[in-house]
Amino acid sequence: MITSAVLCPGPPLLVRELTGADPVLPELREACADAVATLLRDRPGAVAVAGPGPVTAPWPGNGRLNVSAFGGQPAAVPDAAVPDATTPDAAVPDAAVPDNPAARPALPPGPGIGAYLLDQAGYRGERLIWSVSADEPVAGCRKLGADLAGRDTSTALLIIGDGSARRGPRAPGHFDERAVAFDAEAQRAVRAGDVRALLDLDPGLARDLMATGRPAWQVLAGALEGCTSLSVEVLYAGDPFGVAYLVATLQPSGTGRSAIRG
Amino acid sequence: MTASAAQQALRLGRHSFVPARRLVMGIVNRTPDSFYDRGATWDTGAAMARVHAVVDEGADILDIGGVAAAPGAPVDVAEEIRRTVPFVAAVRDAYPELVISVDTWRHEVGREACLAGADLLNDTWGGQDPQLPAVAAEFGAGLICAHAGDQAPRTRPFRVAYDDVMADILDRTLAQAARATAAGVDPARILIDAAHDFGKNTWQSLEVTRRLGEMVATGWPVLVSLSNKDFIGETLDAPPDRRLTGTLATTAICAWLGARVFRVHQVRETREVLAMVSAIRGERPPARAVRGLA
Repeated sequence: MITSAVLCPGPPLLVRELTGADPVLPELREACADAVATLLRDRPGAVAVAGPGPVTAPWPGNGRLNVSAFGGQPAAVPDAAVPDATTPDAAVPDAAVPDNPAARPALPPGPGIGAYLLDQAGYRGERLIWSVSADEPVAGCRKLGADLAGRDTSTALLIIGDGSARRGPRAPGHFDERAVAFDAEAQRAVRAGDVRALLDLDPGLARDLMATGRPAWQVLAGALEGCTSLSVEVLYAGDPFGVAYLVATLQPSGTGRSAIRG
Repeated sequence: MTASAAQQALRLGRHSFVPARRLVMGIVNRTPDSFYDRGATWDTGAAMARVHAVVDEGADILDIGGVAAAPGAPVDVAEEIRRTVPFVAAVRDAYPELVISVDTWRHEVGREACLAGADLLNDTWGGQDPQLPAVAAEFGAGLICAHAGDQAPRTRPFRVAYDDVMADILDRTLAQAARATAAGVDPARILIDAAHDFGKNTWQSLEVTRRLGEMVATGWPVLVSLSNKDFIGETLDAPPDRRLTGTLATTAICAWLGARVFRVHQVRETREVLAMVSAIRGERPPARAVRGLA
């Protein structure tokens, strides 16, 4: 059962120590933190993370973002330490998330950002971590979402994904005029809780547009498909570096999932 | 070589600087005849304007000198005091926190300068006046222990030879540092300086640069004074006004090897070079990193 879902982008610059002296987009970092706090508010039994990766596969629940893969200060702490068990949310010790970051396996960057955001929030409960390939067909993404939603445990869903990285001449992928319409449609679908429209996003076009969020968004759609109603709040939407970022919380506000599955 | 000693915090004036912090010392000459600026700040107004400019460009320390290094018209103690001390007082008034160094080998000048507010005595001629350390000790000031070989102040090197130039530099600067400590100078306020060009030909200054790590390994903070000097001019066959590139290249290498204070004419350019070196060494983050991370 999905208790709550959150959509966050996955740029490495969310990691504060990677941006140098300038905090660069503190508002984006704050929006992600707020969204994850919302996700954890009702103490889910587990958090499922899905983000773009080289393959569609599960990863160890104690995995971490490999910050050093992006460089950063040699002397810097390689990862945010998992906080001590001093907050109520952290009261349940979990051997799956050891306190020593170096002992945790490295995740692909997409789901790694999800683990990082959970670390930053001090979350120490169960984690199910999935990477989803850009080659994963819509049906596979949808089924993964449905499977996560079908668990007996109350599960919160943290989806990591970005819109097109081709939104302007300075963008990582330069400019592709199709990016604007693609991102507008994805954003509209999220705001409207229109999971059908998310499932309609075309994998080939998404790949062309360097929209890495497509497969994970369709995992989200698969998980929420059949919810009677969704309460959506967008905390951040922008493309300051030519990549479309969207932070949103999606709360099933009815009695939960209906029995209908697509 | 013995095992290397770790660099410690450097204290100057009211400040304490960690080893990874690289400091720029801006040169302000109160002379009519210094080789690079040729009297540009001989006038007090021009000198104060230069102070404002180098502070604005990020100088951590000012080095005020009243006697050109090269041979020239004699400057006696009274004249050197007249040139430097009222100016030190004026700078101290304008900048209460700024570290002020005075470039002098004479203890009488050092004493008056400290009374006027100087924090550091730059003994560029390498311990010619044995009473200078006691003055630094008396006022709680710092002392730069430099190497000039056997040369008297304001003379040029003439067929100078060393069995091992770095060994001579270490012998002499460490002996001066030991004498200064014995005289009561706070060891955290003592620096050593190879004094490029002083008592050295170009080959020797290049070797000193190459081997600067041996000075750093002593644990004493190392100052380098490279700015537009003749060893750079001879290396590049460049007159004084075309030595900035060579100065900055040498600055980068000395910084990489662990020098901590850089005495310079061009403060802004030096700051940028040092910021690059600090970032490459991983001691300071880039101002802003977004490329590839968005």
